[in-house]
Amino acid sequence: MDLLLHLCIVVAIYTVFALSLNVEVGYTGLFNFGHVAFFAIGAYTSALLTLAGVPFAWAFVAALFLAGLCGFLLSIPALKLQGDYFGIATLGFGEILRMIFNNEVWLTKGPMGLPGIPRPEFFGIVFDTLPLYLALSAGFALATFAILSFIILSPFGRALKAVRDDETAAEILGKNAYAFKIKSFVIGSVFAGLAGVLWAHYATFISPGDFTLTETILVLLIVVMGGKGTLTGPVVGAVTLIFFQESVRFLRLPPEWTRLLGPLQQMIFGLLLVILMVFRPEGIVREKGGARVD
Amino acid sequence: MDSFSYYSQTVLNGILAGCIYALFAMGLTLIYGVLNFVNFAHGELIMWGAYFLFLFMGEPFGLPLYFAILPALLLTGCLGLAMEYSVFRPIRKANRLTLLIAAMGISVFLRNAAQFFWGAEVRTYGLEVMPGTRFIGLYLTMQQFAIIGVTILCVAGVYLLFFKSRLGKSMRALSDNLDLARISGIDTKRAILAAWVISAVLAGIGGILMALDTNLNPEMGVVNLIKAFAATLIGGVGNLWGALIGGLLIGLAENIGVLFISPGYKDGIAFVIMVLILLARPYVILGERSD
Repeated sequence: MDLLLHLCIVVAIYTVFALSLNVEVGYTGLFNFGHVAFFAIGAYTSALLTLAGVPFAWAFVAALFLAGLCGFLLSIPALKLQGDYFGIATLGFGEILRMIFNNEVWLTKGPMGLPGIPRPEFFGIVFDTLPLYLALSAGFALATFAILSFIILSPFGRALKAVRDDETAAEILGKNAYAFKIKSFVIGSVFAGLAGVLWAHYATFISPGDFTLTETILVLLIVVMGGKGTLTGPVVGAVTLIFFQESVRFLRLPPEWTRLLGPLQQMIFGLLLVILMVFRPEGIVREKGGARVD
Repeated sequence: MDSFSYYSQTVLNGILAGCIYALFAMGLTLIYGVLNFVNFAHGELIMWGAYFLFLFMGEPFGLPLYFAILPALLLTGCLGLAMEYSVFRPIRKANRLTLLIAAMGISVFLRNAAQFFWGAEVRTYGLEVMPGTRFIGLYLTMQQFAIIGVTILCVAGVYLLFFKSRLGKSMRALSDNLDLARISGIDTKRAILAAWVISAVLAGIGGILMALDTNLNPEMGVVNLIKAFAATLIGGVGNLWGALIGGLLIGLAENIGVLFISPGYKDGIAFVIMVLILLARPYVILGERSD
């Protein structure tokens, strides 16, 4: 039962994470390969503040704000780049951020990580049991889904898609593509920060090793497999892949296998990405309507 | 050691690292020039090149270094071709996001495959440490002589190939305009395959040199992809000589940079340079080769 609750909590957190990436990759066509950086910023900010005694609610607000601010600051130079280059710039940002977490030992305790992150407390309720935490993270996942759906279905969301499909045409129609991309990136970063906060207070321990390229790949695979540019795709992807990943972890395997299991699982994820791109780039849930410019 | 030779040693180390980055960057920019996309799996060609040598030098082959290099580079070239045949050719006409995610997938697959076979730990070729020689007041090991020599050979080879041979001419035509090259009767398929082989072999050579000088681990690809990319940005994307200069500059900046900042940030210097270039010359990319 605890296992099932654990699975559902992780699914909820990764749903938020995937939904945030989908705004950028799916709806705006931004190849963000460093999305984990904003997840990490959210996690570290909230963890450090609550460990310093700041109430959770304030730490939460600060974490989301900082994730958004970093997204904004990165996007100013990076979004001047076209597709592939933007991908490398974000990849580099993810790596450099991890370097900072590893090296600024006075702040982050470096590779030792931050243990003992307190459980969140909202309106006097401490979310310290699995069912309560599930309620909290599922609530945030639902709220994220609702807010992002609202944004995507609004004229703003249509403008994002227009920028994605044909930047020149969108510019001709008076949409400032650069500004729309920045907004999309900031929205994605804020919600990635939210996922990070949920993760930090669930795991109660974070270290730079939790925020590697591997996480970005997992969340990218969730979005791409579920169906990028659709509302439900990331949810479908999160449920499928997290159940796969976490259940493998609970198989009773001989210890000499577990060393091989990690890389093997990542190999499968990499292969899945390639196979999806070659045979079904649209993923499980297909994006409806609108001629995609391919 | 007096301070003059200390600084000149730093510069020398920068040039050595820069030579290797230049080899990475030239391969990356070559594929970009011909196929117009950034091969995110380029770092894995670097890493696998180094591991192929490790494979041939270890059991059951046990080849000595000089004999193991050729089959290792051969396999690296084949790996490049395999990427082209199995993934990039089938989706050549797909949109860029598809290409990019596929390249990312290959990169993840290959990185973890190396970890699966050889483990995540840092390895060396287990060669005897040879005493270095003093050379006009500077300290150089055999490996480091090799780095400079091999880089000069590679650059000369690439120059001859690109500017003195028919194949090179067809590759340059392709990078100017693929469709125009095709209707002019250029065998574009052959030129693309050649580009993959050259790119992969350059990556393999660079990876091997780097591993000889330092060590090898499955993560060496990603870090160097970012550096190679920063180098291509400095030199102008798609420009072979620019990649060479860019690589040297990144190497120098890193080695001189650690005199001033913590060595823990050494790998971040390339990224900072990249951001600075973007802020200073934001349209360096948008202006050219935008599609």
